[in-house]
Amino acid sequence: MQDSMKVCTGNFGKNAQSMEAYKKLGGYSTISSKLFEMSQFEVIDYVQRSGLRGRGGAGFPTGLKWSFVPRNSGKPVYIVVNADEGEAGTYKDHFLILEDPHRLIEGLIIAAWALGARTAYIYARGEFLPCIEALNKALNEAYAAHLLGENIGGTKFSFDIFVHRGAGAYICGEETALINSLEGQKGQPRLKPPFPAVAGAWACPTCVNNVETIMSLPWIFSHPVSEYTKMGTPKARGTKVFCVSGDVVRPGLYEAPLGTPLMEMLTSEEYAQGVVGNLKGVIPGGSSCPPLTSCESETATLDYECMAALKTMFGSGAIIVFNDSHNAVDILSVLGHFYSHESCGQCTPCREGTGFAKRVLDEIMRGEGHDGDIELLQGISAGFAGTTICPLSLSLGMPINSYTAKYRGDFEAYIAKNPDHAEPRLRSTVRPGAFW
Amino acid sequence: MTIEVDGKNIEVPGDTNLLEALKAVGIETPHICYHPYLPVSGNCRQCLVELEGPRGKSLVISCYTPVTPGMKVSTPKSSARVKNARAAVSEFMLLNHPLDCPICDKAGECSLQENYVEAGRSESRLFPEVGKQYHGNPDNQFVDTKGQIRGGKRVDIGPRVVLDEERCVQCDRCVRFMRHVAGDEQLQLASRGDRTYITTFPGKKLDHEYDLCVTDLCPTGALTGKFFRFQQRVWMLSRTPSISMDDSLGANIWIEHNNGFIWRLMPRCNPEVNRSWLSNTSRLAFENFSKNRLPAGNLPELKKAVMGEGEIAFVLGGASTNEDAAALKTLTSKLGDRAQVFVGSFAKMETADGIAKSGDPVANRAGFALFGFTASVEDLVKKASEFTTLVVLHADLWGEDASKANALEVIKNRISISAFNDATAEKSAVVFGVNHWSEVSGSMVNSNSMLQKLSAAPTAPDAELSPLFKVLFALAGEDVKCAACAFKKAHEMVPILSKFSFDSIHSTGEKLDGVAV
Repeated sequence: MQDSMKVCTGNFGKNAQSMEAYKKLGGYSTISSKLFEMSQFEVIDYVQRSGLRGRGGAGFPTGLKWSFVPRNSGKPVYIVVNADEGEAGTYKDHFLILEDPHRLIEGLIIAAWALGARTAYIYARGEFLPCIEALNKALNEAYAAHLLGENIGGTKFSFDIFVHRGAGAYICGEETALINSLEGQKGQPRLKPPFPAVAGAWACPTCVNNVETIMSLPWIFSHPVSEYTKMGTPKARGTKVFCVSGDVVRPGLYEAPLGTPLMEMLTSEEYAQGVVGNLKGVIPGGSSCPPLTSCESETATLDYECMAALKTMFGSGAIIVFNDSHNAVDILSVLGHFYSHESCGQCTPCREGTGFAKRVLDEIMRGEGHDGDIELLQGISAGFAGTTICPLSLSLGMPINSYTAKYRGDFEAYIAKNPDHAEPRLRSTVRPGAFW
Repeated sequence: MTIEVDGKNIEVPGDTNLLEALKAVGIETPHICYHPYLPVSGNCRQCLVELEGPRGKSLVISCYTPVTPGMKVSTPKSSARVKNARAAVSEFMLLNHPLDCPICDKAGECSLQENYVEAGRSESRLFPEVGKQYHGNPDNQFVDTKGQIRGGKRVDIGPRVVLDEERCVQCDRCVRFMRHVAGDEQLQLASRGDRTYITTFPGKKLDHEYDLCVTDLCPTGALTGKFFRFQQRVWMLSRTPSISMDDSLGANIWIEHNNGFIWRLMPRCNPEVNRSWLSNTSRLAFENFSKNRLPAGNLPELKKAVMGEGEIAFVLGGASTNEDAAALKTLTSKLGDRAQVFVGSFAKMETADGIAKSGDPVANRAGFALFGFTASVEDLVKKASEFTTLVVLHADLWGEDASKANALEVIKNRISISAFNDATAEKSAVVFGVNHWSEVSGSMVNSNSMLQKLSAAPTAPDAELSPLFKVLFALAGEDVKCAACAFKKAHEMVPILSKFSFDSIHSTGEKLDGVAV
């Protein structure tokens, strides 16, 4: 791939952590009078024309999201960068910040100009200590160079960035839970409306963007918009950073245009260089996404629309590959443990249901499954659909449905390990001798 | 406004949420965490309905959905999706909830039981191996005789409230009550997922004047009041609507009684007065209602003592009803210039707490004012020497503040007509027992000029006792048999009351217009 195609990862491996090095590589070129001569609307319009979509998972058009932020509310506008990367299989933000912290700062200055924001918070996952150190170092350099603080570049524009360390909760990646956590409250998703764009952090208009989204901005603004729209598909422009892990020859972080065929990502020399063993399935966008079977993987392309058509999600671009040495029950059981541990405990279906599903999966794993357990799991999952504030319950519900449908044989084989699997389970209420 | 429910156009009240609007037209929506006087939290997910939006039908919680004209709503009646979703939520709700209803104090008035009948599934899918798992605070867990790990069953979280961690369904009503109504955040949900549990802050206890309200709010038997634990099954209790006569806000209450005993006082919802709240002082007062009571006295003897020679000072205590005041008015007009009426008590006046107390211990002060009784006991202290007879009605002057009351000892002929054999009765030469306010029907006017009705609970310790107004009318030589008759007598004395008959007073009170308080 050409160097120019690397929107976010262009500086990887070039020791760009210091300001000096970053500037030498062309950094901060967008923070000039050219940007400050553009009006807020022109900046937002530019982003809209670029077709940039949010890289956190939902893929919402970034320019459109920014246009929802009210201008004349009389309240400050906050930008919050979601660096609470917790989805199993996703590790892009970690390396993006670690390798190139100044690009995030540059992107934030552009976003702040577009939104009229005075303050931005980078909500970083607590475990990202090296990232936070790199980021703080970069922030100090940027303040020293008057790229942050009062009157940036001699204009009237002032802007501050603060780094906030999360305390370790997957749910704080959900934007309203993140805002609650940022405010010092328990990290639980809020009821919507109001949406954060209207009343987010401290009830002020707040724009929550993913690290990768913000880090795409410097490249987009330093190139003609057509350069960016040239890449990707008509509905999903540009490039995406993919985190490939699992049974591949060279797992790692690869930036590729949207619409790249999945098999090219898995087998091409530039990328993962091939699957180890016989491909059984691919999780295309992080642990909460339904997997693609090897057959579906053949035709899949890496963009939002194709994944939606295959009834899965593009998500955060975390591609997890597993071969036939792995069992779907094992994988789903890991997910059950993860999501029941990470449920915030607010909504009843998620709080109780994820634990219920986990316990059923544990039973099957122990070789004590019964006929009908698959239907029981699917029944639990049916109770998640549309009944909760945030989609965390569905993050387990969708895999339950898809794994049991696509790899039903694995589940049946596990259940068959129980010699009494055909016997009905004994109800606790009619257990003989329990009470009399 | 008109909305479409299950394909039918229905007129519902606007300016509210969907749950309340549907309730107003008789469509009940099961709910756990929603409470009309608490901010919406939206975590139980029990009140789901289907709403048609721009992107098709979706499930929404009706407690957080404002009513908008023309909105299209589906309830379980027309939508299998809603029915299934509610059944699923109901199942999840009970998943880790113990089935100990037979020993649970909340059984009979438990939201989970009520909702399960309507929205649950009939068949259990819970099996011993994968079913219940109790968590709660790890410090309170124990292993039961069957070897199962259990959550704390009787966690002492405060002087008046006990927590059962297994029964908690994390609706956070109690947390919201303490935060938003009591204004003193003492409870919090700790941990996350199905390990979530209610707790107080480290080293702190739940201790607040309104902390027993959390036991009413708790939809399950997780939070129970120590005073009521294991005392009665709630379905054995009968309830009588009345007014708490220890404060001039006149909190609306249910007197809950069985076998002639009061077992608890519960707040009775009145949006204009105390909403759903009741202070601990008012709630726990019932424990003394049947203790230390005076027996019914000898009426001719009383008449002789009251009507004797000289000037008579009547002290009308705050718990007296309008009917008592009307009877006193009749009596004093018979006595002419010889009698003067003083209102009140020596108890300290406190400030209103904005929840369910005005702070004035003279409950019916506004009612007395309607009858022209405005002079206070403090005025009586100033001119005590002018009187030869002191008649104390429903007041314990010596019990409230003996240092002030001692000034009244210059009045040699002291009579107490009261429910209790209290310090004032001890200081009196003649005592006469009457019914307590919980045992009488009557009316009172609260500090917001609401005319409110008390009903008699059948809990009088002695059938010989009669209400104060009957005794006073008898002293005046009249035979008035019932509260309604006494109220009719009051019509002539207080014209504003003539708009109402006793029976027509609404259970949530009547606003008296044009009465300055």
